[in-house]
Amino acid sequence: MADITDIQNEFIRQEIEEYIERADEREKIIALYSKTSPDMQDIAAAIIDGQHETSDELTKTGLDAGISALQIMDDGLITGMAIVGIKFRENFIFVPEVLACARAMKAGMKHIEPILSASGIEPVGKVIMGTVKGDLHDIGKNLCIMMLRGSGFEVIDLGVDTSADDFIEAVEEHGANIVGMSALLTTTMPNMGRTIEAFIDADLRDDVKVMVGGAPVTPEFADDMGADAYGANAVECVDIAKRLSGVTT
Amino acid sequence: MEKIKPAEYEQRLNKLGEIFSNIARHADHQALMRCPYKNRHNECTAQFGCRFQKKPQGDGELLLCTSDDKLDYRNAWEAGAEDYERMRENLRGQSRAGSGQTAGPGNIKHAAAEAPSLVGKTIFDFADELQVRVPTSCGRTGFCHECIVEIKRGHMALNERTEAEGFLGSDYRLACQAVVTDAAQDVEFALLRRNPRILLPDDSTTDQLDPLVTRQGDQVLYRDSDGDQPLDQYRGQMYGLAIDLGTTTVVLELVDLETGRSLYVASFENPQRFGGSDVMNRISYDAGPYAGEMHRSIINTLNTEIQQMCAVLEIERHVIYEIVVAGNSTMRELFFNLDVQSIGQKPYKSLVEHEYLAGKRGSTALLEFARKLRIRANKNARIWGAPLIASHVGGDIVADLVAIDAASHDELMMLIDVGTNTEVVLGTKDHLVTASCPAGPAFEGGLVTYGMPGCDGAIESIWRAGDGFDYRTIGDVPPSGICGSGLIQLMAELRRHEMMTPKGVFANKAREFLLVPDRKISISRQDASHLAQAKAASYCGQVILMRYLGVQPQDIQHLYLAGGFANYVQTEDAIEIGFMAPVHDDRIVKVGNAAARGARQMLVSRSTRDRIAQLISTIEHVELETTSDFFEIFVEGCQFKPMDLEKLGW
Repeated sequence: MADITDIQNEFIRQEIEEYIERADEREKIIALYSKTSPDMQDIAAAIIDGQHETSDELTKTGLDAGISALQIMDDGLITGMAIVGIKFRENFIFVPEVLACARAMKAGMKHIEPILSASGIEPVGKVIMGTVKGDLHDIGKNLCIMMLRGSGFEVIDLGVDTSADDFIEAVEEHGANIVGMSALLTTTMPNMGRTIEAFIDADLRDDVKVMVGGAPVTPEFADDMGADAYGANAVECVDIAKRLSGVTT
Repeated sequence: MEKIKPAEYEQRLNKLGEIFSNIARHADHQALMRCPYKNRHNECTAQFGCRFQKKPQGDGELLLCTSDDKLDYRNAWEAGAEDYERMRENLRGQSRAGSGQTAGPGNIKHAAAEAPSLVGKTIFDFADELQVRVPTSCGRTGFCHECIVEIKRGHMALNERTEAEGFLGSDYRLACQAVVTDAAQDVEFALLRRNPRILLPDDSTTDQLDPLVTRQGDQVLYRDSDGDQPLDQYRGQMYGLAIDLGTTTVVLELVDLETGRSLYVASFENPQRFGGSDVMNRISYDAGPYAGEMHRSIINTLNTEIQQMCAVLEIERHVIYEIVVAGNSTMRELFFNLDVQSIGQKPYKSLVEHEYLAGKRGSTALLEFARKLRIRANKNARIWGAPLIASHVGGDIVADLVAIDAASHDELMMLIDVGTNTEVVLGTKDHLVTASCPAGPAFEGGLVTYGMPGCDGAIESIWRAGDGFDYRTIGDVPPSGICGSGLIQLMAELRRHEMMTPKGVFANKAREFLLVPDRKISISRQDASHLAQAKAASYCGQVILMRYLGVQPQDIQHLYLAGGFANYVQTEDAIEIGFMAPVHDDRIVKVGNAAARGARQMLVSRSTRDRIAQLISTIEHVELETTSDFFEIFVEGCQFKPMDLEKLGW
């Protein structure tokens, strides 16, 4: 049976000692990590620590040294996220930290995407995401983006306070097929409808599917404003994006 | 370059998908209890302002979150981008203050206290140093406009007025914005003692007179459940105090218990304002490191007022034998130094109410020795807290019901007590229903940029005239803001002149309308949106209760409008914007500070207390939030237009 001392990276050992409390889970994680090389453990550590520059650099170094993309995903990125997920579940870290970790993972994935592309694997779909004009609330949207990227979508994040023009420009520039809008305030929710109207005015409405979400939004509102779909949370967001891009029905 | 097989890639995606799905589900669950923008170090990562944000001690980049996670954190979020920028800049500015400077030789003075001046520090910083309590609810960012101070001298030693201070007259500054730029000069500042205009109870002596404090020969007695208890030797007078303990304003009335005559009325701002302007903020404050401060502040202020009253009337405090307090659940429990945290969480009931419902006490009324609460009165004086109805609907509404004599109403009546929390009671004496609507402080001067309580300088009435506006202020002095009645009229005027749509959108895409150009007083769309939400709370209360009883506005025979500014509201304006049910004018009775009157009536009459206790035991409490279509009704209520019950489908 694998032992924690089989893991060479000290940071990872400490993380496991400190945060993984369930015996069966700890055993599984130790078994997982004990099979990985120190280089891969460094990548996992960067992800657990939310260091996107480090994970960016280390992934590139790894690929240049001839390590396969799949192995980096398995031994570095996914193993890293596995510990992040447990720490979050046990309330050792919170959403802002998880998002930092997801960003670090994305920094690594960035180097793997060209390889996927060269292998003929294209993103499931291209999604433009943004919080609508006048609204600065972004955490729900950011969770959706994390989920979408983790499910093979390419996501262009327009951030908060996004005007209709910004959405339109992004769709034209990136040729995206899905637009996701978020609003948290009852006062900014109408801006979703206005953005959709702007798409109609720009003669782009037929080119994209629109999905909406956020605390005050309901399926009825979504329907009223002319959106194609409504998602109550980040998990639903992925299901909907898959449906809208025709991956599932 | 290596080739990846789609199936192999998909396998990895599935693994990731599983990890992420669990994360997203947990995030959803956690968001019910903890603000998702708060990181593991309790720092705030939000890009917008929030009342829980506080500047860090050191040079940290991120603001600290002071939320205790017990309340709905969303209420504390500020919406606008500009507010946030302003907040950040101010906080940054503050954390730089005072580094590498030497103090003096000038001093910063407040009353008799002083501290050496220092370039870069705010008047607020000095207030802290001098232990002067300045009200604020925005984390010292210039947003809430509560920390107004008068600069008695030394204007030149301070920075230029910031944009946030445009609304203030020349001698006033916001303590959080006034920064020392020249430490060589003295600066003297004073707190603004606001004297809100409130309604004085009428001087009728027709109240039922059978007080609990009685006299037998030279013995003063107090009748409690065990019979007559000796209080004191008769000193020539027997007085009682009635207190209407509002979230914003406190009214105090001294009554002669032998004649029922009112001798003295005083009102003052509730000093607990430094802990936030509404009850939820104060509950949250009381859970923090300064728990108990709320209780101390109200007791201290009350003692000061009693002292002053005794000096004016030339009486000694020992002749005050009973004190009756009528306040909403939170105000009352803070006054009695009870834990208020349960009021901030579902089902929003005080511990006293929980005990009552569990059969552990016979009534929700409270009885205590005044001295136990450190209140300066006769050493045996009792203090009686008027009972609660349910949840947030407290003793102030009980006092209202006493004042309007609800126990004799055979015909359908509705009571609307407008305040930071608006309460509605509807029905007849045989069946009353009530609801509490968290309206927030918008109509009492909070959240609205140029909103203010009804004190001198507040615009109480405003109307369109030519291309601009004409107005009237309280005290006929130059305006410094708009109070509740002015705001209601303003919304109605904007609608009448089609300057604003029912949804609160300004004509010609204007972001704001300038109301008083020379004082830079304006109304913004954001203000309108805050007012819409405050108005919607009162709308929901009325609409949901009417539906609950299956009645229409025209069925209401008596509509009582109570609350600090109720008497100044033009009813047609209030109906025009849907603030109030459309009831014919001759059925509307403005009862102003009914709670103060009711508190007095309870003070002087045991049978009145018994009668109201009987009535409130039958009142049914309707929880608005659990009404299944609450949100639809709320959204409808956010519109500035008359109530249209048909649209809601009944």
